[in-house]
Amino acid sequence: MSNPVVLAQGLSKRYGRRQALSDCTLAIPPGRVVGLVGPNGAGKTTLLHLAVGLLRPTAGSIEVLGGHPASDVAQLAKVGFVAQDAPIYAGLSIADHLRFGAHTNPGWDRQLADDRITKLGLDPSQKAGKLSGGQRAQLALTLAIAKRPDLLILDEPVASLDPLARREFLQGLMEFIAEHGGSVILSSHLVSDLERVCDYLIVLVASRVLVAGEVEDLLASHYRLTGARRQPADLPTGAEVIEDSHTDRQSTLIVRSTTPIDDPSLTVEQLTLEDLVLAYMSQDATHSAPTAAMETTP
Amino acid sequence: MIWFTWRQFRTQTWITIGALAALGVVLVITGRSIADAYADANVAACQGDCATAIDNFLHQVTTSTSGTVYDLATAILYVVPALIGIFWGAPLLARELETGTHRLVWNQSVTRTRWLATKLAVVGAATAATAGLLSWAVTSWAHQIDQAAGDRITPGLFAARGIVPIGYAVFAFTLGVTAGMLIRRTVPAMAATLAIYSAAVISMQEWIRAHLTPASHATNPLDTSSLDTLNIGAGNQLTVVASDNLPGAWVLSNQTITPAGKVFTGPANPQYCGPDAAPQVCTDWVGSLGLRQDLTYHPASHFWSLQWTETGIFIAIAVLLAGFCFWWTRRRLT
Repeated sequence: MSNPVVLAQGLSKRYGRRQALSDCTLAIPPGRVVGLVGPNGAGKTTLLHLAVGLLRPTAGSIEVLGGHPASDVAQLAKVGFVAQDAPIYAGLSIADHLRFGAHTNPGWDRQLADDRITKLGLDPSQKAGKLSGGQRAQLALTLAIAKRPDLLILDEPVASLDPLARREFLQGLMEFIAEHGGSVILSSHLVSDLERVCDYLIVLVASRVLVAGEVEDLLASHYRLTGARRQPADLPTGAEVIEDSHTDRQSTLIVRSTTPIDDPSLTVEQLTLEDLVLAYMSQDATHSAPTAAMETTP
Repeated sequence: MIWFTWRQFRTQTWITIGALAALGVVLVITGRSIADAYADANVAACQGDCATAIDNFLHQVTTSTSGTVYDLATAILYVVPALIGIFWGAPLLARELETGTHRLVWNQSVTRTRWLATKLAVVGAATAATAGLLSWAVTSWAHQIDQAAGDRITPGLFAARGIVPIGYAVFAFTLGVTAGMLIRRTVPAMAATLAIYSAAVISMQEWIRAHLTPASHATNPLDTSSLDTLNIGAGNQLTVVASDNLPGAWVLSNQTITPAGKVFTGPANPQYCGPDAAPQVCTDWVGSLGLRQDLTYHPASHFWSLQWTETGIFIAIAVLLAGFCFWWTRRRLT
């Protein structure tokens, strides 16, 4: 495997007494479209800000494309970032924004930027403050990709967009990746936003990375088991229970197992990506709260 | 980055140029009438005792439009640094932090240090240029009035002449930037800038400036022919103040002391200074006491050393604030 685009080891960030990110260890392989999923406040923005160097870790380390985030101009040029709510200069026109990009990035691809604005049907002389949410996000994306980064990081890029703008935005993103390659990390609190575009998934809940891996592998190693009521412990070896629910007579378990489940007393089903993520999120609600409390006492 | 800083700052630049041009027109027009008044009163040509010529000139100026412009221009030189701090300094970083655009600009291929350095350099240079140009215009416009009145070193005028306005403006600018950076919101940062700038300017004038250069000191025999004050209060307390006779100086204290060196407070001798005595009798009696006049003052010749020192202090504070901004932006700002 070639060098990971993001390599985090024991990465933690604390704001005063609040732990925003705990002991995050990740190695994201290159060339992936990575979905970073988790509920609001889970620490997605913190992780992304650490990756682009807007924040410094409290503990642990993070390397992005082999360098320290935002350490110098070369590193900055390699990473494109669209912050949450796609900040732009409301008083400046679209053309001003493109000039800004050209002046501040040595690798600026003017053709790409102009083509995108034309294709979006935007008037370059229009003030950015007058753009719709979708157009604003597209402008921010244009700025981020026209600097031709090796890694593009987008923080909740579609959260505030209507479904049509959401689709157009992701389409534009996918076109760019198809044409120019590179790696992308995009976060969302809804997996359904990312399902169609990402091939690598990170689930972040309550400041912890619960699972990270190739979407294919994740889907192939998680199962929904249904059968007569039983204790979670009473399962084939190697299966780890993510979520369990029971009625009087029946148990439904979502498990992770590297080997296929071969138990005739159970009905084995494949999970959708959304079910998988929801299982991890609800696991946090039921199990990890007491665990976290225990960990804080030395 | 320089182009972009200029682009963000463009509107303010045009407004400033417009305001400076308008003021320039007013100064040129009124400047002529000052020159006329100066010529009419024959100030330049007078020999020996010029007091009458000067009085005529100053009277003519202060009662005309030029008098209003004179007061206004002096006030402008105190207000402009504050405006620069409020409208150029405070929003410089606060506006970006408030709207989140720092996350956009910090992720272009420009380091934060260079980003801040460019902003501070471009707008800081505009600040110094604006204040310098303004002060130069007003100082040369008011040159004849200041010379006639001999009061440019006195509080109120001192910081509205020469190079001190540049120091004030550069200080106010970096103060605004720092406040905006720490408070992260434009309007509260503007308010903080105004409050701290005012406090700094008032403290400087009231308590600090007099000590920037060692003041001159003089003790002379009391000249009873030029008493400003001769006042008999309750309990025969007597207050005597002679005219300082120091044209162009900033007098810090003017006391009348006894031969023993104590401040003279009387008591008045009722025989000479009683209700029935003629004022001249009292004055003559005071003259016979061997009193001396004790003066602490900055002569007109201290003007430039005070100017350089005060400007230097404000520039030094501005440099420290800018250094703090760099450190904070690199290490602490998110």
